Amino acid sequence: MKQETLESLVLDIIEKSELMVDLSYSSLLYDNTTIAKEVYDLEQHIDQQFEKIHQDVFEGVKKGTLTVKDARALSKLARAGEEIADAAREIADVQLRDVELHPILKMSIRESDEIISKILVSSESMLCGKTLGELKLGSETGMTVIAMRHQHRWLYGPTKNTRIDADDVLFVKGPEDGEAHLIEIAEGQIQEI
Amino acid sequence: MKNENHRKSFLGRLQRTPQWKKEELAEIEYEPVSVKELLTEMKDISELIIDLAYSALLFNSTEIAEEVKYLEVRMDRLNYEIRITAMMAARTKEDAEQLAGILQIAQAAEKISNSAGDLLVLMNLQPKDLLPRILENADERIFRIKASEQSRACTQSIGSLRIESETGMRVIAIRRKNCWIYNPQSDNTLQANDILIVRGTDEGFENLNDFLQGKQEVLD
Repeated sequence: MKQETLESLVLDIIEKSELMVDLSYSSLLYDNTTIAKEVYDLEQHIDQQFEKIHQDVFEGVKKGTLTVKDARALSKLARAGEEIADAAREIADVQLRDVELHPILKMSIRESDEIISKILVSSESMLCGKTLGELKLGSETGMTVIAMRHQHRWLYGPTKNTRIDADDVLFVKGPEDGEAHLIEIAEGQIQEI
Repeated sequence: MKNENHRKSFLGRLQRTPQWKKEELAEIEYEPVSVKELLTEMKDISELIIDLAYSALLFNSTEIAEEVKYLEVRMDRLNYEIRITAMMAARTKEDAEQLAGILQIAQAAEKISNSAGDLLVLMNLQPKDLLPRILENADERIFRIKASEQSRACTQSIGSLRIESETGMRVIAIRRKNCWIYNPQSDNTLQANDILIVRGTDEGFENLNDFLQGKQEVLD
């Protein structure tokens, strides 16, 4: 495997593991088992990817296409991501157990520096029919979409090409004042970003 | 006489103990802090510490690395405290079951901070261009911006500027002369020549950068 490909696999682990932490907290905040199960699936996927990176790193060194220094750095970065993914699974695990969640949990998640919110998109909203790339919600409202529900379909870590439609439910993360702004946009009270 | 000198120099060294070492040596005493406060702080640290660890590596900053070590040790301590507090709070079997879930989350937050701390090994090992090259393609990146004297941002608070909700850029740390402010809060003010370490998208960065360089009057 080319070093370039290896590097993008490592980045994928880094980004996915951070998304998983956000998802696991969302699952607790909204008592959402579907999201918690997704964290489990993602964790398995990351485990496989981690093993693959490890294998390829060793092979790269053996073949002489990868320096020992680069190899160590790549596997260290991948390992950190894999551990974070594990931690996310442990958080999601609490949601999947048959025990009612302690009310303190939700309060702690709500009172963090970065809050998580669930927002319904009204048919009056200017968000409808636009892609995340066009909307640039992140740089306009500070809120990042971590997951969304479109009818019965779920989408985790949506990309620039993901389109928002009426009645979609967005799970977002960001600062508190960004939340209020985005709610007004999603409800159709503000027609411009 | 010789012994005394030796002792003096030892004492002198002790005074320069880094902050993380002090935290590590501090005795753990039970303080009545609520489980909620402890858990909120642990969650906040677990998110901040990853960004700080990558910042330390990207900007090759031993000072940021020190802060990562400090937070890692603080996290160990918080994890210990939350266990004590949770045990004192349990009265019934149902309490215990619910609190076990909280402790599992605290444990996970601590695990995250440990993996962030482990990344610091790369400070000496890392081939300089590898990490910047990998992170260059990330959706959200870490940037460094200097606030110019001309910027309207100077003397204003982060909260009143609404930096994060206007640009999506989260301020991870601020360097002011020789001091650092980590995880600045909304009442922290910006001053001319501050260096901000921020995380967000390329568009958000351009917007904030123009504003902090005084090229743009307002954030929008």
